[in-house]
Amino acid sequence: MSSIIEELQSTVKKLLEDGTVGYVIGWGATRFPDRTTPVFITRPEDAHKLVWNHYCVNGTAKYALDDRYPEKKIGIIIRGCDSRAVNRMIQDNQLKRENLYLIGIPCDGKENPVCEGCQHKNPLVYDVLIGTPVEEKINPDRFKEVAEFEKLSQDEKYEYWAKQYDKCIHCYACRNVCPACNCKECYADQYRVGWQGKQNNRNSNQVYGLTRAFHVGDRCIECGECERVCPMGLPIMRQTKKMLKDINDLFGDYECGLNDSRPHVLGEFDLQDRDEFM
Amino acid sequence: MQLKKTDLTGALKILAADASVFVPGEIEGIKRFVLWDGESDVDLGGANTQLPPKDILFPCTEKMYNYKMGDSIEIKEIVEKPRQVIFGIRPCDMRSIDCMDHVFLEKGFVDSYYSRKRENVTLIAMGCTTPERTCFCDSMGLDPNNAPNADVMMNDGGDTLVLEAYTEKGKAVLEALNGLLSEGGQAKKDTACTLKVNMTPELPEKLAGMFDHPIWDEVTRACIGCATCTYVCPTCYCFDIDSDNHGAEGTKFRCWDSCMFSDYTRMAGGHDPRPTKKERVRNRYMHKLSYFHERYGQHLCVGCGRCVEKCPAHMDITMFIDKAAEV
Repeated sequence: MSSIIEELQSTVKKLLEDGTVGYVIGWGATRFPDRTTPVFITRPEDAHKLVWNHYCVNGTAKYALDDRYPEKKIGIIIRGCDSRAVNRMIQDNQLKRENLYLIGIPCDGKENPVCEGCQHKNPLVYDVLIGTPVEEKINPDRFKEVAEFEKLSQDEKYEYWAKQYDKCIHCYACRNVCPACNCKECYADQYRVGWQGKQNNRNSNQVYGLTRAFHVGDRCIECGECERVCPMGLPIMRQTKKMLKDINDLFGDYECGLNDSRPHVLGEFDLQDRDEFM
Repeated sequence: MQLKKTDLTGALKILAADASVFVPGEIEGIKRFVLWDGESDVDLGGANTQLPPKDILFPCTEKMYNYKMGDSIEIKEIVEKPRQVIFGIRPCDMRSIDCMDHVFLEKGFVDSYYSRKRENVTLIAMGCTTPERTCFCDSMGLDPNNAPNADVMMNDGGDTLVLEAYTEKGKAVLEALNGLLSEGGQAKKDTACTLKVNMTPELPEKLAGMFDHPIWDEVTRACIGCATCTYVCPTCYCFDIDSDNHGAEGTKFRCWDSCMFSDYTRMAGGHDPRPTKKERVRNRYMHKLSYFHERYGQHLCVGCGRCVEKCPAHMDITMFIDKAAEV
């Protein structure tokens, strides 16, 4: 691990020194050894502040949206999931590839339950790769939890989600952290239209949950950030997984944020689309 | 006076006879203050509640009045004066009530919705015995073993809880519990936080002069602009007012709002004086550590550590304090 950190830091230092990038987004230390925080390295002499360990859980890619017209390229240190986030946002016309310099780093999984099912540990796209690729495997249990949950009755499912959404505090952390949630203005913020009330109650909370799930349904890269950040511990990925499972069942193998240019299944219309539910 | 821990349920039954009693509990995996169900054991130890008790006095959504429009407008105010007891509230959260009292009851305006609840609540505080690694209340000038604004102060005495009444309301509580109490009791009052933060007496004024300091560019970049820090904060008191319209009638309500949201300072014409997270995070830190102090003479951060624990980006106000003290 230490040689990877050295390689990472020296690569970043060089990129800043030769002016390839304006700054680099990565992970830095906090007060606690088991926690890191996103850092933005602008000076070569600060490259040593970058860390790479089991606790680098935060997604890095979405921060690039804070800077849509950068003077120099934005350097982003990306794991497999972050690379899918980059693809996601490029496919959504939110980022331009030529504005990014991608420092790929193969990831062996972090202190985050979602990593256990990860099928893309190596960055799918990068300009430079730190270290060597790690072994990847197909996760046969990708939809196991959802399949189990589907066995519950409608009432049981309603009861379950009602209790979960009763906890929701409308902090919108799940939305703000999500690389697929990249609308210029979120429907929930269109306060003059009033789609989404600010009041906290079962209705309002569930409307938000449902809308979020459908909006990201065919674009979710399965990074699990929504669930990791939820301060109330809602199992948010279970919803997006359900959307993805249905899409896989209806439209064949489907994963988002890969290097293909397949259109979003919910974003295109095809006369051959299945419509028996109509 | 002391109460045997084995008599705690009996004591809560007495308190619950004529009031809603809120105790530290758990709902769907989240530790928070819950309405005592009349029989469950209450655990006063362990980590503090993940959500603060502020919604008992300042609900996250609170109906204010109903209206009906016809030839004339009918308005019916919703007046609630629930008798409530918050049992086992820790000194950090007690200080947060002190902060809310300043905001809602002082400086020439009394918020009637808050004051009706505040007048009718009895606060039975519990000295902290189990600070988390993110707790830093003693750096913010609090004593984790004592809450001066409590009605009754409890401290852990081993097999007993040692109780002391600080107010008339508190004396009434001890009288009601008289049959279960005995004289004496030695309480352990030596809890201290492990996290020490360099909150110097000069910092509030120093920060006031640092509005344009480059430190803000650095410390605010990781923010994702969610409202987690403000909603888990025991002292964040901002609210919005809106209505739930159904044709010609409806309900006016107020609900928590967050200065982290993009629409918080957006004006009618579209201008936003705090357009990016830099201005928003700066405002929040300034409010906690400088502005409130200037207006009320105390910090708006009580050192409970909830925002440090819950921030999705692992931002840390204590790191900011240390950094600001140094520059």
